[in-house]
Amino acid sequence: MNAPNRFELYVLDEGEAPVEVNEDTKIPNAATIKILKQDHTLGNMLRAQLLSMPEVLFAGYKVPHPLHPHFLLKIQTDGTKAPDLILSDACNQLIGTLSSLEAKFKREFAFKETDSSGGAGVTGGTFATSDDPYGTGAGTGGGASWGNRDDYLDF
Amino acid sequence: MDPIVRIREYQRDRVNFVLENVDLAFANSLRRVMMADLPTIAIDLVEIEANTTVLPDEFIAHRLGMVPLVSTNCDGAMRYTRDCNCLENCAYCSIVLSLNVQCNDSVAMHITSDQLEIQPHPNEGTEEAGEERVRRSENFGTPVGKNDPDADPILICKIRKGQELKLRCIAKKGIAKEHAKWSPCSAVAFEYDPHNKLRHTSYWFETDEKAEWPLGENAREEEPPREDEPFDFNAKPNKFYFDVETDGSLGAQEVVMKVRGDIPLS
Repeated sequence: MNAPNRFELYVLDEGEAPVEVNEDTKIPNAATIKILKQDHTLGNMLRAQLLSMPEVLFAGYKVPHPLHPHFLLKIQTDGTKAPDLILSDACNQLIGTLSSLEAKFKREFAFKETDSSGGAGVTGGTFATSDDPYGTGAGTGGGASWGNRDDYLDF
Repeated sequence: MDPIVRIREYQRDRVNFVLENVDLAFANSLRRVMMADLPTIAIDLVEIEANTTVLPDEFIAHRLGMVPLVSTNCDGAMRYTRDCNCLENCAYCSIVLSLNVQCNDSVAMHITSDQLEIQPHPNEGTEEAGEERVRRSENFGTPVGKNDPDADPILICKIRKGQELKLRCIAKKGIAKEHAKWSPCSAVAFEYDPHNKLRHTSYWFETDEKAEWPLGENAREEEPPREDEPFDFNAKPNKFYFDVETDGSLGAQEVVMKVRGDIPLS
C-alpha cells in the first residue's frame, strides 16, 4: 500500500544531486564520495579503475545497506591530485574504454553479418519474419567454429 | 591497453564472445548492465473483464507480464510513464494489447501469446505529440514470435468449453531493476580462468578433483597449468567468456551495443 515506487531505487529524485563529495578531515588527500541511485555495477568498476591509477593510494567502496540505493567510495591520493579530480579522470578513462569496446563490437558484428549472409540475418529484433526460431543458420552454427580463431580475425 | 573482443558465435538471439584485456570488475559490470539496465517493454497493467478459466486473475496477469514483447530501439521509441506528462498513460508511454478468447468446442483450447492483439490507444491524439512513435518498428510491442509459423507461441492458459478470457493489457517501458520481466536477457553466461589457475574457487571432490570436474569448452582457449607450476598470486584474470542469450525482445547485437549508453557514468 505505502511501498515506495520501485524506480526510486535507480532514478534520482527531483533536484537530488547524484554525487556528494565529503573531504576527509583526519586523513590527508582523502575523500568519501557518496554516489546516489547507483550500485555495485558502477561502484566496483570505479574502484577497480581507481586502483589501477598510480596516484591513488587507496580506493574502496561499500554499499552501506542493500535497501539504500547508494554507495560510498573512499579515495586517498598521493597528493598530486585531489580525490575528486582523480575520480573524474577515472570516469573519463572508463568512458574511453567503453567507447573503444563499442567500436570493437561494431567491427566484429559488421564482419559477422557479412560473413554469414542470410543465416543469422540480424536486423534488430525482426523476429516475426524469420524462419528459424533458434537461429541455427549458416556458418556460425554449432560448436564447430569455436576453436578456429583465424577465420574472421585476419582482415 | 584496449579491450579485445572476439565473437565466436552469433545468432539472432544469442552471441558468444571473448573479452580480453579488461578488468574483472569491468567485465562484471558489462554483465550486470546487460541483465538489468537495458529498457524493454513488458505488460505491466492488466484489466480483466471476464475470466472464467481455472486460473485466478493475478495468476494470469503475472503470466502475461512475463511474455516478451518486441522492444527494438525502445530507448528512443517510448517514454517512461513516470517521465511522460500524460495523466495516466498515453500512446507515447504505453502500448495496449487485448485478449478475447472463448471456447465453444468440447476440446481443451490453448490461449497463447499469439492471441494478444495490439489496439490503438484510447486517448490517441489527445496527448502531447513527440517523435517517439516514428522510431518504432512495425511490430513494436507485439509478442515475440507472433506471426512466425516456426516459433511456438507462449501458452498463457488452457480453457474448456464454456470458459472465456477477456482482458486488456497495458505494456510499459521499464528496466529489470524494477521487475525481472523487463530484462532482455534470459541468460548471460560468464566465465574466466577455466583451469582455476587463479584459485578464485576451490572444487569440492570425493576422490579425484580432475575426474569429477571435467573442463568446459572455454578451457580449450587457455593453456592448461603444468604440474609443477608454482602458484602466481599476483596473476589477474584477463580473458572473459560471455554467452548472452536474449528472450527475443531485443536482438543479441542490440543488447551488446546498448551497453555503452547504459553504463551509468557521469
